[in-house]
Amino acid sequence: MTYYEKELSRIRSIIYSNVGQINTVIGIRNYIDNNYDVNLNLDLLSHIHFVSKYHMLRLFKKYYGLTPRQYLIDKRIKKSKEHLINGLSVTETCFAVGFESVGSFSTLFKTKTGQSPTEFLKEQLSRSKIYSEF
Amino acid sequence: MKVTLISIPVRDQEKALKFYTEKLGFLKKKDVPLEGGNRWLTLVSAEWQDGPELLLEPAPNHFEPCKVFQDALMEAGFPYTQFDVDNVDAQYERLTKIGVEFSMKPTEMGTVKVAVLNDTCGNNIQLVEEL
Repeated sequence: MTYYEKELSRIRSIIYSNVGQINTVIGIRNYIDNNYDVNLNLDLLSHIHFVSKYHMLRLFKKYYGLTPRQYLIDKRIKKSKEHLINGLSVTETCFAVGFESVGSFSTLFKTKTGQSPTEFLKEQLSRSKIYSEF
Repeated sequence: MKVTLISIPVRDQEKALKFYTEKLGFLKKKDVPLEGGNRWLTLVSAEWQDGPELLLEPAPNHFEPCKVFQDALMEAGFPYTQFDVDNVDAQYERLTKIGVEFSMKPTEMGTVKVAVLNDTCGNNIQLVEEL
């Protein structure tokens, strides 16, 4: 066993000893991964895992380093890129990943990626055109 | 400012290119000849070709402290860097079958599962799956 593996094992026994908490946050992450496209209900989620909503938010942040909302936004932006590449319009993409307003989706997309969804779409189209020309 | 490149030190660029493309599945992106047979050699992920580039840098051959540091990490089993995968167990199976050596089998670590492989160019590389 390497020194690194020994260290991992030592650290795990200190910070990851609470299996119940870990299973809870992993469950929440899976729930977000499977339901990012609908209106997420964290109250329902906390009931399923028998923890209070605020305790659950704290736990998620503790183990993943970001809040469930931040995680959800990143997930939606990542998925929206896939939808745009696969030919959906900006409006279709916006609703397909669970946003309710095209305006706020576009603003958020631009903040996160540096481009608006329309600019991103144009770049993808020009890219595929270049590939077919050469 | 943007992060677009990460660099890993390698002892032999050609050998590293073969390992990282043929075994790990990266694609060659840039290959610029420099002086003394060195190259500016970068790779990208096959499934994220406009993502960050991985620079295979021949630093240990030209700068002794880099070699010393790399050797120390290797001996202690510390990964030089890590790559995200969807399924660590599946990658472990796939890579061991084609002769890649692991110093650490897939191991759960809280909210992630990790494994450590030898890149045959002087580095341990960690594979990570978020659970």
